[in-house]
Amino acid sequence: MSALEFVNVSKSFRDVNALSNFTIALEQGELVSLLGPSGCGKTTALRIAAGFETADTGAILLGSTNIISLPAHQRRMGMVFQSYSLFPNLNIRDNVAFGLKVRGVPGDARKKRAEEMLDLVRLSDLGHRMPHQISGGQQQRVALARALATEPHVLLLDEPLSALDAKIRVEVRDEIRRLNRDLGVTTMFVTHDQDEAMSISDRICVMNNGVIEQTGSPRDIYNNPATSFVAHFVGSINSLPMGSTRVLIRPENLVLATHDESAHWRGTITDTTFVGAFTKISVVLDNDNSSVSVLAISAQIDRNIEIGKSIGINEATR
Amino acid sequence: MAAMKFIGKIWPRLYIAIAIVFFVAPLLSMARFAFQRIPMISLGKDNLFKRWTIDGLLTTLRDPEFSHSLSVSLKVAFFTVLVLLFLMVPTTLWVHLSAPRWRGVVETVTILPYVVPPIALVVGVSGTYRSIAPWFLASNYSLVPFYAILAMPFTFRSLDVGIKALDLRTLVDAAKSLGASSSRVMWNVLLPNLRTSLINAAFLTFTVVLGEFTIASLLLKRTLPMYMAEAQGSEPQGALGLGLLILVLTTILFTLVSIIRKKDSTSINVKNINVGMVP
Repeated sequence: MSALEFVNVSKSFRDVNALSNFTIALEQGELVSLLGPSGCGKTTALRIAAGFETADTGAILLGSTNIISLPAHQRRMGMVFQSYSLFPNLNIRDNVAFGLKVRGVPGDARKKRAEEMLDLVRLSDLGHRMPHQISGGQQQRVALARALATEPHVLLLDEPLSALDAKIRVEVRDEIRRLNRDLGVTTMFVTHDQDEAMSISDRICVMNNGVIEQTGSPRDIYNNPATSFVAHFVGSINSLPMGSTRVLIRPENLVLATHDESAHWRGTITDTTFVGAFTKISVVLDNDNSSVSVLAISAQIDRNIEIGKSIGINEATR
Repeated sequence: MAAMKFIGKIWPRLYIAIAIVFFVAPLLSMARFAFQRIPMISLGKDNLFKRWTIDGLLTTLRDPEFSHSLSVSLKVAFFTVLVLLFLMVPTTLWVHLSAPRWRGVVETVTILPYVVPPIALVVGVSGTYRSIAPWFLASNYSLVPFYAILAMPFTFRSLDVGIKALDLRTLVDAAKSLGASSSRVMWNVLLPNLRTSLINAAFLTFTVVLGEFTIASLLLKRTLPMYMAEAQGSEPQGALGLGLLILVLTTILFTLVSIIRKKDSTSINVKNINVGMVP
């Protein structure tokens, strides 16, 4: 039995289909990302699970119970939002204890639990501060502690890292993964950022226009994309002519041909971008003018790779 | 060049000096007229510190008509604040949370009192009451609905601004996902975070009611402004003294409100409201 299951959930806003026959099952303790461009329906799916939107059709199963008609405050879903959403009038400890308070947990037990949760996100010395006195990253960790304090059935994360700057983003991301593993809490993570989804998820569900394009492990999604949309949305990809059709090959799976080697494709170098360990080489193919990028290990690159030079490209042998 | 610099420096000071004279001179004149027992014709700079007394003010304050009109005004103001908050808090929240498309309509309705002159309001509304509930117009509380309409723009705006400063939708969703019912969300999340707006709205409504003259005069109600207008004829020194006293009290009240506002604005900071701010 799954921890959380969407069965044929559909939702439209006026005449736009936000979600069509959305079906997915999350196993207990699993972290599943909903990944897709804005407007793909991922946030709608999450908000339907939380009870903030009503589905037009379908069921949401929590264990074996259909919760589709249960109001949001009775669902026991922990939710973290993109904007930090801490209550500005309460200090950090009272923010974490809010869910326990509305559930009638007595004062002492509440305080103890709040301290435990703050300890868990390593902010135990900030309990007396007000939300505006701590940083964005810290606020988001408090929001996590607050969502987890009531031991929710599922943790729902709606782009929780989008408002944070790059370094803090990685920290909070790792924190989410650690909490998911340590507490075994089933987690649904909505993001438009493929790197984020790749690095954090057990499984990724790639969505577009309200439908699921592919669900699978990050490795699976990257190496065996089921549709052209998935191939293009996750990572970058080249489309190269092969006979009468075209093939999709990732930049790191292409190699530059050496002088004496025969090359599958030939083209002219238009740009080279050094990004540390790797160098991205942009090439325009001679026979059909399509642009191709090759990701090569910087240390292995021949010195006379220069803009304007003709070069051969082959598919890397695995 | 040096002269230009000197003029550049002196200008702001000159402006401030002019402003001070503009505001303080009438107040000082008022104070001298109200509190110096010297015929107005002989008030001059050589008797600035002579024969100051608050007898005129005390006579007015002791007048039972004064305390009666003050109590009428305070009661009407109190109920106007209650009625307005009761009507406008749910309306404004509803407009922001569930029906943003209606915000424009509600805003337009609330500014009607700016467009419709009080005289038209009184004639229209009192005509209706006179035929269906004449007893209501006899009561002092018949002023409450009129004043509620007059103060509506201030209440709506104050609440509107307060709500806009919060990420209301997310706060409500967060509270609900933590298990809070709608009434809990209202009492534990919305009202505490709108405290400053509520105080502002109440304060502005209070001052509107305490200063309103036209409607009270048309409906023949003995409110404070009515009393002051009449007292100017019979006890001019006392009436002016009273005016000055009200000014001072209002200033003190206003200062208290802005102190509270300042305290609140340190706890509600833009930083934790804006999406996309880096820490």
